[in-house]
Amino acid sequence: MRFQDAAPDARTVVYAGIQADPLVARVAALLAGATAAERLLARAVMNGERTDAEVWRRIFPALFGESADEELRRRAGLLLAASLEVANRGEAARSQYRGAIVEELTARLLAGRAGPSAPVRRERRVLFDGVPAEIHPYDVTVESATRPEVYDCKWGARGINADVLNQLDDARTHAAEEEIDVRVALVVFDARRSCELRLDRSTANHEQTRLVALESLDELKG
Amino acid sequence: MVPWWQAYRYATGVNERNRVADRAAVAYRALADLAETVEDEWQYVNDLVDEYLPGIRVLAGAGDGALTAAQILAVDEAIAEIGLISDPHKAIDWLSTFPHLVALALGGDVDAAARASPAGTEPGQAGDSPPEPDDDSPFRILLGGDR
Repeated sequence: MRFQDAAPDARTVVYAGIQADPLVARVAALLAGATAAERLLARAVMNGERTDAEVWRRIFPALFGESADEELRRRAGLLLAASLEVANRGEAARSQYRGAIVEELTARLLAGRAGPSAPVRRERRVLFDGVPAEIHPYDVTVESATRPEVYDCKWGARGINADVLNQLDDARTHAAEEEIDVRVALVVFDARRSCELRLDRSTANHEQTRLVALESLDELKG
Repeated sequence: MVPWWQAYRYATGVNERNRVADRAAVAYRALADLAETVEDEWQYVNDLVDEYLPGIRVLAGAGDGALTAAQILAVDEAIAEIGLISDPHKAIDWLSTFPHLVALALGGDVDAAARASPAGTEPGQAGDSPPEPDDDSPFRILLGGDR
């Protein structure tokens, strides 16, 4: 088993431009240190219809109300402003930014426990002897020689489908054939219960695929 | 003996919570009607509604005392937000998000509320036990300052 950079095509070239936008890194950095409630704010704003900050401050009194402490209000304010910047990019661009943000957030959280022997990489394919390579790369990988990890990242639970689950499970089963224990996981920036409902209806193998949902993203830190 | 004005204040607070939760539930049902127009996602939409709609109603009993003006405004603003949605695909996304906004505003846990109120039942039916705490609840984590 080995990891390999994905061959760039037209889509990945365009997407790479979004991934490299400093706004993506800024939002991901804020989300990495955020509470679950702040992450819910970011999800709502980046999915929202209105882009007036005051509206969102009213919707989240737990973050912006009188009872919230000053540091929480300050941090939530930064995240709100950055999320509104994404929302203001327009509907067409939003979905690409949101996807890139979840990937960047995942990579940042994993990087907290990764090191030189287990680098965190993006957009990588996993190759196995005698197995045709998957067309789509995995979003984030932790390339440890002893305990590699493979992640697919989704903005919402609706992104969970049979193709995604099969690709993750294939990585695990092919690695097992080479006696390598690969951890596979789905990171979804959405409520856990909504993801579980989606998974409950899926017939694709996912029993060994870990779900990391919005409420438990900090599990990625190890 | 409880003075009449305290009992009145309590009853008014309970009624206000019920009214707010009812408004949220009606808005949620309307959002689901829009989301259902995505034929491929009909099952998922109904799974979400079966899970969260009873939970929203149970949130009426989530806290003690009267709601603050900020809490009521928060729910009404969230209702206004989903009322603006015309894209059924976006409506599906919000079927997942809206219940957690309402729960955060009302000081409850919609997942625990949903567990306490089996799909298709109203609050107070089926001998519901009190909601179990959920370690993943954004509201609980926020209160605990857990980051």
